[in-house]
Formats: sequence, C-alpha cells, structure tokens
Amino acid sequence: MPEVALAIFLLPIFSFVVISLIIRPFLNKRPQLSWYVTIASIGASLILSLWMLVEVIKAPGHVLPMPDYQWLVIGDTSIHLGVMADSLAAVMLIVVTVVSLVVQIYSRGYMHGDPGYCRYFAFMSLFTGSMLGLVLADNLLFLFVFWELVGLCSYLLIGFWFHRPEAARAATKAFIVTRIGDFGFLAAILFLYAKTGTFDIGELQHLALVGAIGGTALTWAAIGIFSGAVGKSAQFPLHTWLPDAMEGPTPVSALIHAATMVAAGVFLVARLFPMIASSYEAIMTVAIIGGFTAIFAATMGMVMNDFKRILAYSTISQLGYMMLGLGVVGVGVARGAVALEVGLALGVAVGIFHLFNHAFFKALLFFGAGSASHATGTFDIREMGGLRKAMPWTFATFLIGSLSIVGIWPLAGFWGKEQILSQAWHYAPILFYLAMITVFMTAFYMFRLLFLAFGGEYRGGAHVSLRESPAVMIVPMVLLAILSVVSGWLPISEFLGGESHSFFGALASPMAWASLLLAALGILLAYAIYSKKWISAESMRRRFAPLYTIVSRKYWFDELYENVFVVRILVDGIFALFHWFDDHIVDGMVNGIAGGTIAAGREIRRLQTGQLQAYGLAIFIGILAIIAFFMIFG
Amino acid sequence: MNLYLLAPEISLCGLAIVVILLDLVLKRKGILAVVSVAGLIVPGAFTLALWGREETTFAGMLAIDQFSLFFNLFFLVMAALVILSSVDYVSKFRAFQGEYYALVLLSAAGMMLMASTRELISIYVALELVAISLYALTGFLKDPKSSEAGMKYLLLGAVASAVLLYGMAMVFGLTGTTHLEEIAQAIPGGGLLANPALLLGIVLLVAGFGFKIATVPFQMWVPDVYEGAPTPITAYLSVASKAAGFAVILRVFYEALGAVSLDWGIIFAILAAITMTLGNVVAIAQTNIKRMLAYSTIAQAGYLMMGLAAVSALGSSALLFFLGAYALTNLGAFIAIIAISNKIDSDLIGDYSGMARRAPLLALALAFCLISLIGIPPTAGFMAKIYIFNAAVQYDLTWLVIIAVVNTAISAYYYLRVVKVMYLEAPPSEEAVPSSASLRAALSFCCLGVLLLGVYPWALLRITQAAVDIFFP
Amino acid sequence: MLENFGYLGVFLIAALLFALTMIMLPPLLRRFGIVPKKPNPVKSSTYECGMDTVGKSWVQFNFRYYFYALIFVIFDIQVVFLYPWAVSLGQLGLFGLVEMAVFFLILIVGFVYAWKKGVLEWK
Repeated sequence: MPEVALAIFLLPIFSFVVISLIIRPFLNKRPQLSWYVTIASIGASLILSLWMLVEVIKAPGHVLPMPDYQWLVIGDTSIHLGVMADSLAAVMLIVVTVVSLVVQIYSRGYMHGDPGYCRYFAFMSLFTGSMLGLVLADNLLFLFVFWELVGLCSYLLIGFWFHRPEAARAATKAFIVTRIGDFGFLAAILFLYAKTGTFDIGELQHLALVGAIGGTALTWAAIGIFSGAVGKSAQFPLHTWLPDAMEGPTPVSALIHAATMVAAGVFLVARLFPMIASSYEAIMTVAIIGGFTAIFAATMGMVMNDFKRILAYSTISQLGYMMLGLGVVGVGVARGAVALEVGLALGVAVGIFHLFNHAFFKALLFFGAGSASHATGTFDIREMGGLRKAMPWTFATFLIGSLSIVGIWPLAGFWGKEQILSQAWHYAPILFYLAMITVFMTAFYMFRLLFLAFGGEYRGGAHVSLRESPAVMIVPMVLLAILSVVSGWLPISEFLGGESHSFFGALASPMAWASLLLAALGILLAYAIYSKKWISAESMRRRFAPLYTIVSRKYWFDELYENVFVVRILVDGIFALFHWFDDHIVDGMVNGIAGGTIAAGREIRRLQTGQLQAYGLAIFIGILAIIAFFMIFG
Repeated sequence: MNLYLLAPEISLCGLAIVVILLDLVLKRKGILAVVSVAGLIVPGAFTLALWGREETTFAGMLAIDQFSLFFNLFFLVMAALVILSSVDYVSKFRAFQGEYYALVLLSAAGMMLMASTRELISIYVALELVAISLYALTGFLKDPKSSEAGMKYLLLGAVASAVLLYGMAMVFGLTGTTHLEEIAQAIPGGGLLANPALLLGIVLLVAGFGFKIATVPFQMWVPDVYEGAPTPITAYLSVASKAAGFAVILRVFYEALGAVSLDWGIIFAILAAITMTLGNVVAIAQTNIKRMLAYSTIAQAGYLMMGLAAVSALGSSALLFFLGAYALTNLGAFIAIIAISNKIDSDLIGDYSGMARRAPLLALALAFCLISLIGIPPTAGFMAKIYIFNAAVQYDLTWLVIIAVVNTAISAYYYLRVVKVMYLEAPPSEEAVPSSASLRAALSFCCLGVLLLGVYPWALLRITQAAVDIFFP
Repeated sequence: MLENFGYLGVFLIAALLFALTMIMLPPLLRRFGIVPKKPNPVKSSTYECGMDTVGKSWVQFNFRYYFYALIFVIFDIQVVFLYPWAVSLGQLGLFGLVEMAVFFLILIVGFVYAWKKGVLEWK
C-alpha cells in the first residue's frame, strides 16, 4: 500500500485543519484537545515513517516504487505529482517525525497557559506536515510549494508573540532574507522547466547525468537552487536571520534548528546532489560556502552572551559542515577522483548522516536552553551560573549534548564530523584545515557556555528560586540525550550508500586523534578562562580588542545589510528611482485607466434606475440587438 | 416508466412536504433546519446509488446520466449550505419558518429537474418550479426592500418566461417536436441567416435563459433583487439558480442545437465579453457589499459564458468546474457576510473596517473567498480561470481571453478594497462579532472546498469531464 | 410541420368568426326589423338576472375571498381528475389506484396546511 506514504505528510496537515477549523472556533475552551490532535497525528506519521523505512530497507536498491498522481491537465500538458520513497527520504522522515514529536511533548509544558495555545499547535502541525511533504516530493514544483510553506510557518512561529516588536521584526527578517534565496531557487526551477519541460526530480537528474543539460546553463541552475538552500540553511551571506529567529518560543527554535526549516536547505542540496555535482563550479561553491560558513559562524559564537544566540551560531556552523561534506565529495565526483555512482551516494551519506545526528543533539541543546530560562527567566548567560546543582537533569543532558556537538568519541556528533573531515582531507585540503580550526572553536564556545551557565555560582537576582523543570520537559530531554549518544552508532551512513565505520576502528585513524585533541584543547581553554579563571576573560578581551569588536558586532553584517543595502542602495537609490517611475509614469497611466474605469462605472450605474419598465425594455432591446448583429455581420 | 430514476427528485419533494407538516405540529422550530439538512441525505443517497447509470424515462423526457447526476449532487450540496447559513436568519422570523425551508427544497428539486429533462415543456415546468419558489423567497422579509425585490423579480421573471416560451414555440414550430434529440435531427441546415425563424428562436432562448444566468442585457434585475432578498437567498440565487441556468443551456444547446453551434457560440462569446466588462466596471462604484457582489456575480457569469462560447468538451467541462469552484467561493463569501451583517446590521463596505480584529476567522474566510473570486492561487478560483481561459484559447477565442484577463485585473481592485478595509482600517468598536455553529460549519466547508480544488483540482475535474461526455459521444 | 399551424389557423379563424357573429347578430336582426325594439329598465340593466352593484367596483375586497377561491381550486382540480380516472379505473388497475391516492395525499396536505393556518376561519 504505497499510498500510505501520502498519509505521512497529510496527517499533520489534517491536524492543522482540524485545530484551526474545528477546535479553535468551536472548542476554544478546551485548548488541550489541540495538543492531543497534534501528538496523535505526528505520532502516527512517525509510525508510518518507521514502516516506510523498513519497506525501503527491504526494497531492491533502497527505492520503493510509488504511484504518480495526475494533478493538472491543461490541454496536452499534464503535470504529475508523486512521492519519492528512497533512503534519503526515509532517513529524513525519521529525523523530522522524531524531533517534531519530542518537541510537541516538550511544548506542552513550555506553552502551558499561553493564550495562543491552539494557534501554536496548529502552526506546529502545519510546519511538520510541510517539511514532511518537502521531504517526500518527487518534483520541484511540489517541493517548492512545501518549501514556501515551511518558510511561511517559520515566519508565523518566529513571530508567534507578534505583539512584541522584536519578534515581529525577527519574523519579517527571516521571511525576507530567506526570500532572497528563494528567488534564485524559483528562477532555477522555471529555467529548468523551460529548458527540459519537466519538474520531475528523477528525470532532471537523469538529464543532468547524461549531459542533456550541462555547461553554463546547468551551473546557473545549480547555483540558483543552492541559493535557495543558502537562504533556508542560513549559510553565508544569508545567515543573518537565524540568530534573530530566537524571538519565537524555544521549542520552535529547537524544531527550526534541528529538523525542519534549516535542514530543508541541506536536504535540497542532497536531493539534487547528482545535478549540482554535475557542475564543478556549482559544487565548488557549495563546498567553499559551507566550509567558510562553518568557521565564520563559530567565531561569532565564541563571544555571544545570549544562550540561544550561541546555539544559533553553532547551528549555522554545523550546517556549514554539512554543506562542506556534500560539497567536498561532489568536488571529488566532478574532478573524477571518485567513481560517479559511488560518489553520488557517498556525498549524500556524508551530509545527511551529520544532519541526522545533529538533529538530536541540537534539539536537546535547545531544550536545555529552554529549561534553563524557564528557571531563571532570562537567556543571558552572564546572569546565570550555578545551574548544575539546582538543575541536575538539565545539566547532565546538556553536557551530553555539548560533548556530542563537539565531537567526542563515541558520541553521535563524532561520527558525522569524522566523515566530513576525512572527505575534506581527500578533496579539499584548505577547507579541511578550516574545518579543523572550527572543531577547536566549537569546543571552546560550547564549553564557555556550559561553564558560564551551569558552573560557578548563581549570578542572577536573588528573587528567583531555581528549580528543575517539570517532567514533561525533562523526559523529552532524556530521550534526546540517549539519542544524542547512540544515533551515530546506527548504520545510517551505509544505508544511504556511504562508508561504514567500526566502533573502535574509528580511533585507529590519526585524524580522529587530531580532531579529538583540538576539541580537548578547546574545552581546556574554556575551562581555564571561565571555570578556573586562570586566564582573565577581561584581559583576553582587551588584548584582542579590535578582533573582539569585529566578531561581537557580527562583522557588521546586519549594519551592512540594513544601512548600506537597504537604506542607501535600495531605499535611496533603486527604490527612489522606482518610486519616481511609479509616481510619474506608472501611476499616471494607472490613474488614467482606473479613473476612466471608475468614472465609467459611475455612469453605467445610472442606467440602473430601479424602474421596472426600463429593465423590461432592456430585455427587448437586447434581443433586437442580437438579431440586428446577426443580420448585419452574419 | 421507471420511477426509481426519479427517486432523488421525488424524495426531495417528499422532504419539503414533511418539513411543512412538521412546521404545523412542532413548537420548537429549530428542528426544521436539522430535518431539512439531514433529510437531504436521502436524495443524496439515491443520487449516489444511481451514479454511473445512463437511462431515459418518461418517453425520453427525463435523462439520468453523469451530467444530471453531477448537478443533482451540486444542487443538494448548495441547498444544504444555504439552509445551514439561513438558520440564524430564519430564527428571527415570527412565522413561516417551515415554508422557508420547504421552498428552498422545492426550488432545489426544480433545479435538479432542469438539469435532467430533455424536453422543452418539462424544462419550462421545472424552470417555473424554481422561479416561483424563488419569487416567494425573495420577498420573504416583508420589509419594503424585500417586497420590492420580490415584485420586481416576479414581473421580470414573467417577462423572461414569456420570452423563453416564444423561443420554444419558434423551435417547436420549425421542428414539430419538443424533444431535444428529435429537434437536433429536424434542425434545417444552412446556418442561422438562412433560417430567420431559427435565428429568432435561438435568440429568444438565449434571452430567456440569459435572464436566469444574469447576462447583459438581461441582468438588470440582479442588483435590486440581490440587495433586497434575504442574504442567504441572495447567495442561493447567485450560485444555484445560475448553475441551473447553465445546466439547462448546456443541455438544450448541445443536445438540440449542436448543428448551429458556430452561431450561438459567437453570441455567447460576445455576451460574455460585454457581461464581464459591465459587471466589473460597475462593481467598482458600489458601496454596498451585497450590491458589489451582485455585480461581481454578473462578471463571473461572463467568465462562465466563456465555457459556452468555447464549444468543446474542454470548454463545457471547464464551465462545470468553474461552476463548482465559483459556487463554493461565492457561497463562502456570502456566508461570511451573513455572519457579519447579523451582528453589525449593515451591508455597507465602510462598516467592515477593522473586521479582522473583531472577527479574525470570518475576515480571513471572507478575504480567502474574495481572493478566490479574483483568481489568485492557491484557490479554486485560480484553477477554474486557468481551465476556462485555456479552453477559450484552444477554441481560438484569444481576444476573449485578453478581455477576461484585463477584467480580472479590474476586479482585483474592488475585491481587494474589501480586504483592505477589513485588515488595514481601524474598527469603530472592539466588540467581537460572534457567529453560530451552523454558519461556521458551512463556511468551513466552503473554504476547505475552495482550498482543496485550488490544490488538487483533478478531484472535481475528473467528474466534470465525465459529466460532459454525454454531449460528445 | 406547417400543416400543424394550418389547423391552428383554421381554428383561429373559426373562433374569430364565431365571436364576430355573436356580436354582430343582434344589431343586424334589429336593423332588418326581425326583432322589435321594446326597452324597459329591467331589460337594459347590466345583469338581467342579478343584483345591481352598490357603489363603485374599484374597492378593496377581503383577502379571504382569494383564500376561499384557492381552496376551491384544490377540490376543483381533484374532481377534474377524478372523473376520467373513475371511468378508466378498470384498465388502470392497482397502479392507478395508488397513483390517485398519492395525488390525493398531496392535495390533502395542501388542505391541511390551509386549515392549520386558519384560512377557513372567517374572522
């Protein structure tokens, strides 16, 4: 019954419909219902996803044949929509449904008593459903629709508390910045359709591989698609929206960062990997942007003071890793250094394996942030401290998440990162060194965060009594903590067609030791500065004052975009020009036409006298006019 | 004579009688609406049981085929939605609640007959059954405006009926039969100019049916009647009555007058262009939302007639799809207006300011339906326009499509003005606008349908394509 | 086809002729002295066997007359259908009986409705 696959993404969308059309208008007094509906639908999606995973594993070539649905027939053109059930989709389904389910459970505690309870779960359902639809789509049109829906939902959820101006601004920013990337994506889709006459992903990849589309055309299409991914996955230079997206409720951040919004970009590159990897220039761009973003975001993560902002930069950095992994293998493929079939599968495996592991520990870290702020009422780590004693569960799980993201053997983060590093070593040594430095930085900022927030003594106001969060929040964290340890042991990479790894064998490679050493150094430095205070953070800051300023001001990217691009170039320059054009030329024409139309409307309206006789007369004049028309023009 | 084929219509009339009798004995009138809506399941079930059959009965006067069954379901759904949206409205009446529901049901039965009869006299009788029920419903409120509307509708309807009968008499005189398929065989060749009697007959038929579908210049009654009639009845007039008109036009012109399709095709094309332009242009100047929607339905009739003008399977199936999409959309818009005007007691667009704050869901639903009326994705209206424009282009009516596209742009102005007033202007008071459960249920159904058809049009298109197959054997 | 209209035409002409004859006959008869002219007040009143109208005829009538007329029509129709039905009941058989029962039922519903609504009471 392959049609069941449709239920995977339709169920959460159905839940959205039920909540917004039935529960919210009719049963608003019992908002808890919306939670049950959400949990039930996403739980069912999870079960179906597991079923599909099993089916895909059993299927030959790890691809399940799926039915196609005729969606639109206009004359001779017919557009088919369908779902694609391959290993990539199966793995992504598991990631999305598991993380989303855990997030929904956690939300029950976090959102308790919020007036927008129903609205929250309605959006969350739609968000999850859209992401699942995106993952399953077998053609670009369908994918793009869900892509935009995901963007829309993240806009709605980041701005969930829309009465707060910061939230509204952050939501708008996320929407607009990602839209810049989407523009390239849409242009690429239309360009490909014009070129090939199909939206089908399988066909497009086939055409790219056999060289039916190639050269500059393919490069531009691939870069257009990648620009969509850059926007969604917050890669340089469209990374600015993600740190601001913290204004939404924390479970939303967890979902955005782990499984839905930002993962969509990496997924897109993986889904279209054969096509993008067919162009050397395009795939090189992917690798460079990925590698650069990884280290670039890490530098900013080292100096932030906001709990969730640090995590946001870490997400950007980790996403950079994933892009790097996809990119470097693709570069190998494009250079011919690795066999085509093997390389294509390997690239996807490297990128998605890290995404898979990252989803769990990143969601866990955000839950930790939510739990910490639940107790302290702030996200500023300078006003935290000493949470280790008061919140042992939060601390323990957060520690596991941190070790995992830093990449300590044998936790989940280690395995994905190892693969990316070793592929980078083979195909792009320069990017490899950057990635190694990033390992050090990651360890430093994560443990800086850990020591400041959880170590030492409490520095906040005395009026807050620190208490552990309720079980409904702790249980999901423990669950994710377990997954953050073991998810790397699962044979996901082999399943996707990548390399296998053995539990202890990984320690045989010198590279593993090098990265572990760098990570340890990072942790040690953080320990020295922020826990033992052997080195004064203040003196460090003063010594590297110019550097510190640059980094802590986020390289002035926000200012650059706001003041230079938006204000000077767009508002003062292009928009002013448009405005003038609009005012004098377009408006002149439009006003002329519109004025004429309105005036005509007013005049014709006079015919409507209300006189019955006139109406009857009109009928007969009409009849005579038609006959006269035939007599004259016949 | 197989009465079973007539079971949907018979059971529907039976339901109307049951409602009238219940009204006589019951004290609590709220049950009447429940009985009416629940009772619609019976004719619905009969229709579904007949699905797929293709037979004629009563000496070929009545045909059961995909086309008539499609319209059976269509009218049943419309009647159910109109009754649901009337509950609040009707509960304000002191008397005659049962009559109201019974008249709606009877008119629905007449519409179903209109779509399934294949004989001119039966068509006329069915049409009068619809018309007389609707005259009474239009004047139901007994206030001066409603009475005026009812009287105008009655008198002009009688004129139109007379015109229609003249047309039928002409056709009968020329062919000696009132059965559609026999007319088709007896139609003389040589086009309309060679047969002035046939020309006159066809033009009179166009005028008589054109009154039903409100095409220019037979549309003069529309704004006055729509404004005065009870709003649920206005909604009913604007979708169901119009759809019945299109059903009967398709039946008569394709089955009986197919030989001269080139000639009536051009009549409909020209009328379509004039109708949509006039409807849209005058709608701009309106300040009353019911009047604005009245002109908007005239404009929509213009788009719909493009499906008649494009004489082909593509055109007629696009027309049916457009009817489905338009019916859900327009009903949705009217239901939202009913809900709002129940509370604020005004139909002026200016009084809708800030409605998004007072009734967020209603405003959203109304805005969604208006967007569908413009034809912006992802709504049913968009898909419907795509299909009907495409059909017109395939039939070499590019000039008509250009006019239609320009009209669409014009129409965006007055539809979006309502959205702007609701969302951007400050509300006169913060008082919430409540709505009843039945209204919300009907509105939800409409909006969901509009969205579904906008996302997955094939669901309905498959049925409409099968429905028009009977005209293209 | 057209011969159908021909019959119609003959019928039309015959009807016209008949009406014209009826109108023209009395004056003609008197003109040729076949009938005498002896007028008296009773003879020249509007209705020879009826009452003279009181006041103008342009007055409002009680609406209930119309209701009574409508109810009368119900029974009228019933009788119009009943006679031919009764004559051929033997051939129609059970089906005819049931059909007439349904027809009765519908008319009776109308009657009951009118009754319940108080149409039959003269207040």
